[in-house]
Amino acid sequence: MLILAGVLVPPLLALLLALAVRPYRRAAGWLGVALAGVSLLSAVALAVRVVAGLPIVDSAPSGGAWRVDALSALLAVSIAFVSLLASLLGPGLAADGDGPPAQSRRFRIYMNAFALTMLTAVTIQNVALMWVAIEATTIASAMAISLNRTKASVEASWKYLLVCSVGIALAFAGTVLAYFDFVSTGGQGPGSLNWSVLRTAAPSLHPELLRLAFAFIVVGYGTKAGLAPMHTWLPDAHSEAPSPISAMMSGVLLAVALYAIARWKAVIDASIGPLFTTSVLIAFGIASAVVGTFSLVIQRHYKRMLAYSSVEHVGLVAIGLALGPLGMFAAWLHVVNHALAKSTGFLLAGRILHRYDTTQISEVTGLLKVMPWTGPLFAACVLALVGLPPFGLFVSEFLLIRAAVMGGRMWLAAIVLLLLLTAFIALLSHLNRMLYGDAPAGVTSGERGGWPAIALAVPVLLLIVLGVILPGPISTLLHQSVASLMP
Amino acid sequence: MTGLFSQLVMLGSSGMLLTALIVLWRRGLPAYIAAYRWQSWLLAAVVATIAHFGDDTSLYWVAGALLVLKGIAIPALLGAMRRRVGVTPQVTPFVNTETSLLVASLLVVFAYLLARPWMAVSHLPTREGLPLAMALLFVSLFIIVSRKKAVTQVIGFLMLENAIALLAAVGTYGVPLLVELGVFLDALMGFLVMQIFVYHIHETFDTIDVDELTRLRH
Repeated sequence: MLILAGVLVPPLLALLLALAVRPYRRAAGWLGVALAGVSLLSAVALAVRVVAGLPIVDSAPSGGAWRVDALSALLAVSIAFVSLLASLLGPGLAADGDGPPAQSRRFRIYMNAFALTMLTAVTIQNVALMWVAIEATTIASAMAISLNRTKASVEASWKYLLVCSVGIALAFAGTVLAYFDFVSTGGQGPGSLNWSVLRTAAPSLHPELLRLAFAFIVVGYGTKAGLAPMHTWLPDAHSEAPSPISAMMSGVLLAVALYAIARWKAVIDASIGPLFTTSVLIAFGIASAVVGTFSLVIQRHYKRMLAYSSVEHVGLVAIGLALGPLGMFAAWLHVVNHALAKSTGFLLAGRILHRYDTTQISEVTGLLKVMPWTGPLFAACVLALVGLPPFGLFVSEFLLIRAAVMGGRMWLAAIVLLLLLTAFIALLSHLNRMLYGDAPAGVTSGERGGWPAIALAVPVLLLIVLGVILPGPISTLLHQSVASLMP
Repeated sequence: MTGLFSQLVMLGSSGMLLTALIVLWRRGLPAYIAAYRWQSWLLAAVVATIAHFGDDTSLYWVAGALLVLKGIAIPALLGAMRRRVGVTPQVTPFVNTETSLLVASLLVVFAYLLARPWMAVSHLPTREGLPLAMALLFVSLFIIVSRKKAVTQVIGFLMLENAIALLAAVGTYGVPLLVELGVFLDALMGFLVMQIFVYHIHETFDTIDVDELTRLRH
């Protein structure tokens, strides 16, 4: 329990700190970074504990609030890591001053609230309170998107707020439906909305109601996850948000929504078998991968390019979740890899935007010369995102296709391969245009490395580690996650 | 007794659906706000009825909170919003009134079809309210997608929340109190943030027509 408090309390403290220190001071920002570090260390400690076979289950007679199994730990580590990066590279720490101090303060308030709500969502065991936490992520992040109040960012946050609030309301309707079925068969009791209790009771629930509930839940949380055709808010929000917030949204928020879907899938599968949820997830997965991939081809805007790549990857994860234990293993590994690659990609895109002052791919030329640190790292991230070895996404995409083939779905493997190939060509041609050529007039060349560059190199190195050797503890954590979701 | 109980619940739920339909054929924000206020009062009344006949005292608290928050506070804030952004009385929708009402009636039929398996399973005297709650949910969604003004979309969203509260109340006699509290908090925060954004849109675009929000394409 104490370790779990170590994960959740630091972002709360950082939030209060940011609220209390007014006007913003750099020391407060650094203290916030230190707290994010504590949160990450605790999350890692939690994961170590879970790998050792000691998941945390709060079994108070009133039902108990918290439950951390392998999957929760996996996501908590990802969230804490990305939050630390965002906090470290967000406005308000660099010496050369970026943006007005009031903006830095507001960024730290919303960012920490955002991190706190996501961490809560993956560690709480009551599915309705999980919903409350996920809804709260929408509110915290919507405020963060329009930190820099321009027409485009206000439009993006309004769209995001409205579409996701409506979506998430549907997910609540689904939750109520499932709960209703549970109450009408088993009666009300403490912890009757707890995930493990629901799953144990699932075989006695009514199949037709659960099907309806799952439809609501997939559409609802799927909106938040950016599954097509409910993804319309995603490219706007991710491209207009300040880069550290985009990093958190693309890197881990989408994963949190997928986590909610996976939890519910386990409940429904325990009742009616995996056939229904599998076909629903494959349909949404293919739709997202197709929409994401083909939008990549026509992209002229590099932050939107990264956003559509997220739609594509979310689709791949959804397909993976539908493909049994092998597919789920690939899917969760893919979530971790994508969190690393995409969050770093967005943070680097923020640096590119700062230097070039344009979001158009065609106006960014000679990146390697202009930014000798950011350029190669950005190239590495994009290469990782297209699934080239030695980066981790190569392994998870390979495992995904293998799972499709082993499951006898050759057609699915073929579609995925074709889409991956298309995304590969599209992203590389965009990247090629950005990396080489002469620097545009008025953009100075050269870049000091310093700690931000080192911080951004760390996730890239981790991606290589995940691609070359899958470390034993992570593999164990993934196997445990898959096992906990299987009936 | 159960006869009276189910009739009262049915009456309240139908009333809530009617208030949503008002938004489809009336024009002008004051009418919408009044419709929302009536709907929230009816919701509180339904929950109080369930508390009375279902012998669940904690639901009285929920009903009271609904009344204060959704019946009084939020309509007042909506009124303040209307005065500040000064909307023209004619609120033009994307879809005309006749089509809107036709679509709404189709949605109600759809809701009845969808709620059938649920009705078959439920033994609660309140089950007649289920398809009505579903219908309210769909009609609110339709309000959100078919209206142009940000404020009207907010009202649609608030009605959607009422629909879900009604769904939970008639379907399960309410979710546990802790969850109810969390949902309240989210609803309030969500509304306040939306209010902030309506002001932002008003200030940055000089209009609250979401038609104007077309800068982001592809």
